[in-house]
Amino acid sequence: MLKMNNISRIYQNDTIQTHALRDFSLNVKAGEFVAVTGPSGSGKSTFLNVAGLLDHFDGGQYELDGVSVQGLKDDELSRLRNEKLGFIFQNYNLIPDYSIFDNVDMPLRYRGFSARERKRRVEEALEKVGLASRLKYLPSQLSGGQQQRVAIARALAGEPKILLADEPTGNLDSLMARQVMEILHDLNKDGATIIMVTHDPDQAREVSRNVQVIDGQLADFKIYAPLDRTAGNTGKSVSISAAVEEEMADA
Amino acid sequence: MRSNSMFAYNLSLALKSFKQAPSLYFLVILTLSIGVGLLCANLALVNSMTSDPIPEKSGQLFHVSMNTWPNDQPQAEPFHILRYREAMKISSSDIPKNSAVFYASGVYARDSASTSLKRFDSSVRATTPGFFALTNAPFAYGSGFAKSSGMEVVIGNELNQKIFAGENSVGKVLELDGELLTIVGVLKPWHLRPLFYHATEGRAFNLTDDIYAPLETSIDLGWSIHARSSSTVSYQGVKFTRDRNVFYLQAWVELENSAQQQAFQYYLDNYSQSLKDAGEHPLAILNELRDVNAWLLEQNIVDQNVLAFTFASVLFLCVCVFNASSLLLSRFHSAKFEVGLRRAIGASNKDMLVQGITESALLGIVAGLLSLLLSWFFLKLSIKFLPDLENLAVLDPKLLMLGMALALVTAIASALYPLYRANRYTISAELK
Repeated sequence: MLKMNNISRIYQNDTIQTHALRDFSLNVKAGEFVAVTGPSGSGKSTFLNVAGLLDHFDGGQYELDGVSVQGLKDDELSRLRNEKLGFIFQNYNLIPDYSIFDNVDMPLRYRGFSARERKRRVEEALEKVGLASRLKYLPSQLSGGQQQRVAIARALAGEPKILLADEPTGNLDSLMARQVMEILHDLNKDGATIIMVTHDPDQAREVSRNVQVIDGQLADFKIYAPLDRTAGNTGKSVSISAAVEEEMADA
Repeated sequence: MRSNSMFAYNLSLALKSFKQAPSLYFLVILTLSIGVGLLCANLALVNSMTSDPIPEKSGQLFHVSMNTWPNDQPQAEPFHILRYREAMKISSSDIPKNSAVFYASGVYARDSASTSLKRFDSSVRATTPGFFALTNAPFAYGSGFAKSSGMEVVIGNELNQKIFAGENSVGKVLELDGELLTIVGVLKPWHLRPLFYHATEGRAFNLTDDIYAPLETSIDLGWSIHARSSSTVSYQGVKFTRDRNVFYLQAWVELENSAQQQAFQYYLDNYSQSLKDAGEHPLAILNELRDVNAWLLEQNIVDQNVLAFTFASVLFLCVCVFNASSLLLSRFHSAKFEVGLRRAIGASNKDMLVQGITESALLGIVAGLLSLLLSWFFLKLSIKFLPDLENLAVLDPKLLMLGMALALVTAIASALYPLYRANRYTISAELK
């Protein structure tokens, strides 16, 4: 579903060259729920931006759902973002003056769907996150958790191949964070592929796969069985070298 | 289908954007409106000065200038006013389809049947009957007079309004400087900008005349010459000009094709030569026929001050566009997050560009409407300070369209750089 091979991303100003990603390789299969963890400044967000086609990369190969993204023009990248990716941001990124319906409807507008189809999709997406009755509300009339659920609905409405979540619970209290994570797990159970950047080790342990990024490189990863969804959840640890070799082979 | 739906969506986004920052957009609209309004007001003046007053046949109407000054101190070029004898020679030719020979005069007019003694100061065109057909003068009632002699007149709409409240006054009798003349025709409102048939002596933007009277009758009644005249002899009044070297009549002819033009040129030259052969003038044979537009160009009727103001208002509009652009730059900068978000969820640069242009086009339409109001206001203000501009200060439909188009173009131009800047960042940077 997502194949990155030796991706590098370098930020450069007049005097300093910063390697935000270096030889970064990752292969995410359909239906996986991958947590990307690592310390601040390690390159997690850069990875997510590159994966989400929000930023370009300077070297390597990247294939998204069978499409090689190198050399694609702006409108082709936009179409890929629109059709194959759904974004969930830490600070929700809802437009405050737009109703919930309009916020969720936004990506569908650029897809060229009919008004009826858009309405169906918006209502269905909001139904999934339990906010079907709040169509006309403004974001400011909702709690943080509800706003993030609206953001999830917006990401879902286009029926994307991959959901990219950047610390989706970072701004929420534990109860609301739990609700949001439940929704993400339910979506994953229904077949959604999810890549989530998080600082929360508990959340990382809950998902099927945890990828650690340090200094812009894939440092380590462990594969866990879901924490409390599979009996005897102790996490299946794999030795670092074996795991890296396996990952590289996949990529 | 998608484009229609996106257009409606972009329009709704533009309206939302206006609601989000009404003061800023008001300033942008005001800035552009003042610039466009001022330019349109100046263009209205230039347009009046340069427009073709009789486009349907301006290429067929010719002003006649002749070089028949009777002594060896001639004018610098052929004279635009003629003696009675030359004028009659022109009038008697059957080569032109129509011809008109006239001079400007003035009388006091009142309804002879009125009990009121109020009289109106009225301009008079003392002319041969061909004037009406030559100038396509529009009749509301009656028709022109048929002969150059007779106690008959045609009056203009304005005088008819003043004296007869706009009613059909054909058959009524006017007292003009104590003489009784019967109205045979009333003109509709008639605006000639410029007043091509009398564009000399700074009259190019005067109104059309109040009264049109037969030439011979006007001369016989001694209605004085209210325009430039030159003579080599002294004379007691217009009554005594027929056989003297008094130059005061202007002549126009309607020549439908180049063959007629050549024939009439030959006719004039032949006449000048005969005068020269008879020793009546010593000058070269030099008679000129100039069509309406060439004649107006020759008269330099476009005021250089107005041209300078127009140029200045173009520069001012450029400053307004820069100002509007910097205002929009700040607006688009503050909307950077929304641009980033839209691009993140699938809008392309092109989508964002179309959205921005739709918004600026909507701004342009509002600015266009306001600029037309301001143009009107600026023209009224100009007339207040310079009353001579009254007949020039006209916003015709062509100018209204131009004003709207200018506002649209400048609004879009103002948004181009801000749009370029807004779409230049990487999306991740816009979302931070």
